Amino acid sequence: MRRAFLVAIAVSLLREPASAEDLVSGLSQDQIQITSNYVGTDMVVFGAIESAEAIPTATARDVVVVVRGPDADFTVRRKVRVAGIWLNRDRVALYGMPGYYYVASTRPLAKLAAPDLLRQYQLGLAQVAPERESTRLAKKGEPFREAAIRIRARQKLYTEEPARVEFLSYSLFRVHVPIPASAPRGEYTVQVYLFRDGAIASAQSTPFFVDQIGLERRLYNFAHDRPLAYGLCTVVIAMLLGWGSSFLFRRPA
Amino acid sequence: MEIYLPIAEMSVHWLALIAMGAGVGLLSGMFGVGGGFLLTPLLIFYGVPAEVAVATTASHLTASSMAGAIAQWKRRVIDFRMAGVMLAGGIGGSVLGVQLLAILRRLGQAELVVAAGYVVLLGTIGSLMLNESWRTLRAAKSSTPRPPAERHHWIHALPLKMRFYTSRLYISAIPPLVLGIIVGVLSSILGVGGGFIIVPAMIYLLRMPTSVVVGTSLAQIVVVTATTTILQAVSNYAVDIMLALFLILGGVVGAQAGVRLAARLQGEWLRLMLAVLVLAVGLRLLYGLVATPRELYALTLGTP
Repeated sequence: MRRAFLVAIAVSLLREPASAEDLVSGLSQDQIQITSNYVGTDMVVFGAIESAEAIPTATARDVVVVVRGPDADFTVRRKVRVAGIWLNRDRVALYGMPGYYYVASTRPLAKLAAPDLLRQYQLGLAQVAPERESTRLAKKGEPFREAAIRIRARQKLYTEEPARVEFLSYSLFRVHVPIPASAPRGEYTVQVYLFRDGAIASAQSTPFFVDQIGLERRLYNFAHDRPLAYGLCTVVIAMLLGWGSSFLFRRPA
Repeated sequence: MEIYLPIAEMSVHWLALIAMGAGVGLLSGMFGVGGGFLLTPLLIFYGVPAEVAVATTASHLTASSMAGAIAQWKRRVIDFRMAGVMLAGGIGGSVLGVQLLAILRRLGQAELVVAAGYVVLLGTIGSLMLNESWRTLRAAKSSTPRPPAERHHWIHALPLKMRFYTSRLYISAIPPLVLGIIVGVLSSILGVGGGFIIVPAMIYLLRMPTSVVVGTSLAQIVVVTATTTILQAVSNYAVDIMLALFLILGGVVGAQAGVRLAARLQGEWLRLMLAVLVLAVGLRLLYGLVATPRELYALTLGTP
């Protein structure tokens, strides 16, 4: 919850009257429902920068949009070759990694803020870090964290898209956030940051939910809540289908 | 239309699942095997997690062996007493195997053990079959009769003798019990029915009449795979009912087509083809174990 706290601080700091610009943002949906034929969809994050006075156009303005899925614990294992066969050996547990992570910005992140600031707010794929990690390997967690990010990125669950936030007008911006079918269920937060001259000028956080609905969700719950009944059901269906097939396709004598 | 598999947690096209079920069903109908040894690796190649592939294949086997067992039951060629003894071992073996799989999963070695188990299993069975069918094909040309199988006297020296009326046997209960345990472990760790082990063992080791072998093995496979399915659901939450449903639907149709197709092909060539197929799948899995992986790291959700 450290990050939620940071965002709260950022938001409260930005309410100060010194800020000449304010940020309003919204989402196309407040809920995404994964159904049986779900193949992924886009969440549209849009917003506007409201300014009380004219801002000199020379000022560098940037918008960064971060979407984080519910926290998850990962186990990362590294393969080593033993007698010609590759097998898992070293292991690192990463606690409190985002189950889903997406960051988009108007310019490459490295160009719009200092590395320390990016690290503090976990802006950028390379900055995604667990709340806690545990391993018997002394100080060797780093390649495992990097591997976790790489693997999640390949699964399209971690994404960094610089220059993806588009300005529709001087103050209106929009970005399409892809939510794949494999996105974990739970509460997501969309954090929108307005950067001015390399500093956070305004920030806003909005939640949305990803849920499985319909048959899949009920089957998943059934399998986990009442595994014995679920197993029996599967067996009964299998037996009935087997019996039915011998009945349907009775061979001509 | 893509469907979402709730336990495997992936989206797949339903036609791909039906095709896989039908393909394996076709082969199992053609060759008279359960097809678990082909279905599990196929699902793993397709990206289904190893433990889900193993557990779900067990339920597929329940359906396919059920169809066969009913046909045999109508012909009264099932030795229920023998099946019962083997089941006692089989259920014990299944309990053991499912626990073993749960431990392996915690250690992160489930994929490795499943793959290595398959390499050994498919390599051995494939080579034996290739050798046998090659010799049969050559023998058919030169028409020399095969030497009769050697008698196993040690079987008759074991205690706990039981009378099996349908099989007309009076033998110790220990060999069928042990056979049952082996098959139970295999079904829960590798997702195979074990017909390719039971059938030869019944014929050559227990010396059961060939007429009752198929029915008896099918009857016991139905119960062992059903038990394994339930145990996998309870201990590992690894049975995907949607995956099972589509595979079974494809499987029953494929199996019927396979039976009809097999009637038109020569048995020796059929067995040679199966042997080559089995070896090919085994070699592909072996390659996966020894080839340098593109990604040295693997990520699993949750912490042990």
